[in-house]
Amino acid sequence: MNKKKTLSDKPERLDYWLLGAALLLACFGLIMVLSASGIMAERFFDDKYLFFRKQAIFLCAGTFMMYLCSRLPKAIFYNLVYIWLMGAFVLLMLSDFTPLSVAAGGAKRWIAFGPIRIQPLEFCKPALVLYLAYFFSRKQERIRSFSIGFLPPFAITGALCLLLMLQPDFGGSVFLCMILFFMSLVGGTRISYLLTSLLFAGGAGYLLITSSPYRLKRMTAFMDPFKSAQNEGYQLVQSLYAFGSGNVFGQGLGAGKQKLFFLPEAHNDFIMAVVGEELGFIGVTFVMVVIGFLLWRGFKIALAQENLQDRFTAYGMTIMLGLGFVLNLAVVMGTVPPKGVPMPFVSYGGSSLLISFIAIGILLNLSRGKV
Amino acid sequence: MAKRKKESLKSSRNKLLFVMVLFALVWTALLGRAAWLQLYKGADLSRLALRQHLAAELERGERGNIFDRNGNMLATSVDASSLYIRPVKVTDVSGTVAKLSKILGISKAKLRKKLSRKSNFIWIKRQLDDRTARKIKKADLPGVYLTTEFVRLYPNNHLAGQLLGFAGIDGKGLEGLEKEFNGRLAGRKAQFVVQRDASGRRLYLDELGREMDIRGKDVHLTIDSHLQSVTENALVDSIKKYNAKWGTAVVVEVATGDILALANCPRFNPNIFRTSSPKTWRNRAAIDVVEPGSTMKPFLIAAALKHGVITPEKLIDCEGGRWNLNGKYIKDTHKYGWLPAHKVLRYSSNIGVAKIGLELGVQNYHKFLTDIGFGSKTGLPLPGDRVGSIRPAAQWNEIDLAAGAFGQGVGVTALQMAKAYLCIANKGVAKPLRLVQLPRSEEDEAPKRIFSTEVAEKVLSMMREVVQEDGTGTRVRISGTTVAGKTGTAQKAEKGGYGNQYMASFIGMVPGYNPEYIVFVMVDSPQPNHYGGVVAAPVVKTVMTETLAYYGKLPEKQNSAPVMSASLTPSSEMPKKAVRANSAQTSVSSETVPNVKGMPIRRAVEIMVKRGFVPKLKGQGMTIIKQVPEAGEKWPEDENAEIVLWLS
Repeated sequence: MNKKKTLSDKPERLDYWLLGAALLLACFGLIMVLSASGIMAERFFDDKYLFFRKQAIFLCAGTFMMYLCSRLPKAIFYNLVYIWLMGAFVLLMLSDFTPLSVAAGGAKRWIAFGPIRIQPLEFCKPALVLYLAYFFSRKQERIRSFSIGFLPPFAITGALCLLLMLQPDFGGSVFLCMILFFMSLVGGTRISYLLTSLLFAGGAGYLLITSSPYRLKRMTAFMDPFKSAQNEGYQLVQSLYAFGSGNVFGQGLGAGKQKLFFLPEAHNDFIMAVVGEELGFIGVTFVMVVIGFLLWRGFKIALAQENLQDRFTAYGMTIMLGLGFVLNLAVVMGTVPPKGVPMPFVSYGGSSLLISFIAIGILLNLSRGKV
Repeated sequence: MAKRKKESLKSSRNKLLFVMVLFALVWTALLGRAAWLQLYKGADLSRLALRQHLAAELERGERGNIFDRNGNMLATSVDASSLYIRPVKVTDVSGTVAKLSKILGISKAKLRKKLSRKSNFIWIKRQLDDRTARKIKKADLPGVYLTTEFVRLYPNNHLAGQLLGFAGIDGKGLEGLEKEFNGRLAGRKAQFVVQRDASGRRLYLDELGREMDIRGKDVHLTIDSHLQSVTENALVDSIKKYNAKWGTAVVVEVATGDILALANCPRFNPNIFRTSSPKTWRNRAAIDVVEPGSTMKPFLIAAALKHGVITPEKLIDCEGGRWNLNGKYIKDTHKYGWLPAHKVLRYSSNIGVAKIGLELGVQNYHKFLTDIGFGSKTGLPLPGDRVGSIRPAAQWNEIDLAAGAFGQGVGVTALQMAKAYLCIANKGVAKPLRLVQLPRSEEDEAPKRIFSTEVAEKVLSMMREVVQEDGTGTRVRISGTTVAGKTGTAQKAEKGGYGNQYMASFIGMVPGYNPEYIVFVMVDSPQPNHYGGVVAAPVVKTVMTETLAYYGKLPEKQNSAPVMSASLTPSSEMPKKAVRANSAQTSVSSETVPNVKGMPIRRAVEIMVKRGFVPKLKGQGMTIIKQVPEAGEKWPEDENAEIVLWLS
């Protein structure tokens, strides 16, 4: 990995494998969004292609952002870290405290600027990654001290989580905390601090869950979804039915039945259930192989970096995507309690698609000449 | 410093590799989970998913209602819980049996036998009352389920029982209109039942995922429940008084062809159809083919007038009451000599019409009968509606023709008679009868002129003589208006000829000059008196009087007649009608407590609450069996007065 390619007259190669994997996944996602949402969209909006069209537009916008991020000088990301972080705080506060926010199902997780709706949480993820990568690489010599190496990143992440909890978005907070955990792990925070904070986080999580009947219900529903199949466990049970009905080869693209309103949010967080039902284990395996490949390329790029901030940034972006993939799959297959985590590239949603492409763009940027 | 950097690069590299391995493990675990879900558990889960559709199969939409022309409910459905088990899901057999036995009152042995069956689905008890259903729900036994079914209810009990028919426990129409319109009334099944949210709101989808309405569609009849009730009561009175076997009556509005009432006696209550013999389910007006007798004569006269064979004044020799035709004797009840044609009808001379028939000829008479609707179905949506029997013209000999002239040897239904008289009342233009307002019948027969207005006027004039002059139908006279009519007293065919049982009938049209209503009544085997002019005529008179009163067309003098039948007050429409009929008596229905017996709770309570009283409910069940205050009593003046309804 330390081999330097010095042929400066040749344009420095990007990691086209990573680019290919991301585009493949995004196009596959586009098809699945059409399959999952077509019937629902026709019934409720009288337009079968509504979500498909929107997702196609997001895809174009995302590709453009990816190109931009792969081309821009790294300084734009690195030197403006606090600006990005500030942006994330502003977006969260807009959703918490202003009428711009759009409430859905009792939570204000969206803000609307005219026709454009964005989900602040998604934009917090890359901003946090950039900040943590910056922090851990710059403060490397003091990293093992408590007040300088430990406190600031935990305080910043904690503040973001607090704002998220005001929405409220418990799942989003957990996601950010996990980014923090993995960044600290590699960044060099003392293991004893990490374990202690993990303990605290666990305690806080427990208190949060038991203090809210809604969360508690979802938790117990997760333990035995079939017992509450008509209530809290409904979505999960329907998801499991979808996977089971898919068997080896699936029902065929577009032929799934669970998405016919059985499976709420079929084109959204639960899109992998539609993949499971319509394309079977073969289809799920295909997606997982592409995901595995994509993550492998991401880690590879991170390992290839000689500059610490480069490495942490690449690693953080990979972790951000990886956590999205893993948590989403774990939720739809019923291995972790349900949280609203979209499947990067595959689920319908502009914010998620956009930041996924940005992450790939930054990875591509960092891959230049390294792979 | 550089060394330090190298170190941290190296240490981070190791930790990064560690995270990579961690992710690889999680990735493998997730793939394993997918394999477990899809390959190992796949069959089980997909079976469970299919069961969601099985649940959809159990769920049927509510059966549509049947309404009369004013929107009064004649048939409706109320929901009830039914209990079924899936034996595989029952964890504790003896405990379940014990609890179910206690709640349902079914013997343990019987329950245990049911539970031991290797079926996925077994009904235990259907259409439970609410209290039992609540107990079952509370017991929360695994493998024991409740589902909603609908119980068919006929709020007016006997009213129009044979016409409505009934639906079985599975909600399938088995007789009458319930059978005929089953396709429309029946609740539908959705391909998928989707729970949209945790609150249990449901969405019903067809196989393509489109939302559908699973509720059955309603049927609106032309029947007026008040007139139906009046007609049935009058018919029942006559049947009782003359010890008859059965009777049927049809009331038709001339302007529209609407059947306002279609009564059959003895009556039958579709709420408890099991307790009565299938014989009483027959809608005889449509199904029973009878020889009509003299009520057929006006058609012969009309045909003869049409073909110019007679004029009303043409004299016919009635042979002194006994006439030998080809070795057969034709007899008259009274002896007449020469009579003009109009008196032949007035006095109903068989010999007279036989001679006119012979002169008219088989072809002409036969064609006239088929044109006016005999020998073909009435087109009404009634199961078993008969064509009757009119033999082909070629098979008639002279005797047949002579007999056919006074209504023997031809088989007709009461509804065919009503339809044929509608043509006369409509001045020679045949038009279809109507029984159903909604759904509209697809192909309405176009009105067709059968004979001229002049012929119709002449026949009507003769039929007025039957009632207004010294004819056979004087008992239906209504003072202040004229009535046109014709009696029928047909000897019933028995083995080896005609015996001493009679079919008494009467056709009445009112007013006599421009008829607006037709009433046809048939009474089978009345005793001791068997004359249509005695047995059937009073029914016709009562029905006509009530109909005129109801529509506010009864001349002033007759105002005493209509009293709203209390058993039929659920309609808000009827009091209005009563206002029209007789403003002095408006108070009758709105100031007194209506009869809510036999009504579903919901409806009864609705009626009470509308008047400002919240009734106390006693007992359990879904229908009212007893009420205090009684029907017809004045509404209490005190708003807090107690109204009690007993349920069953």
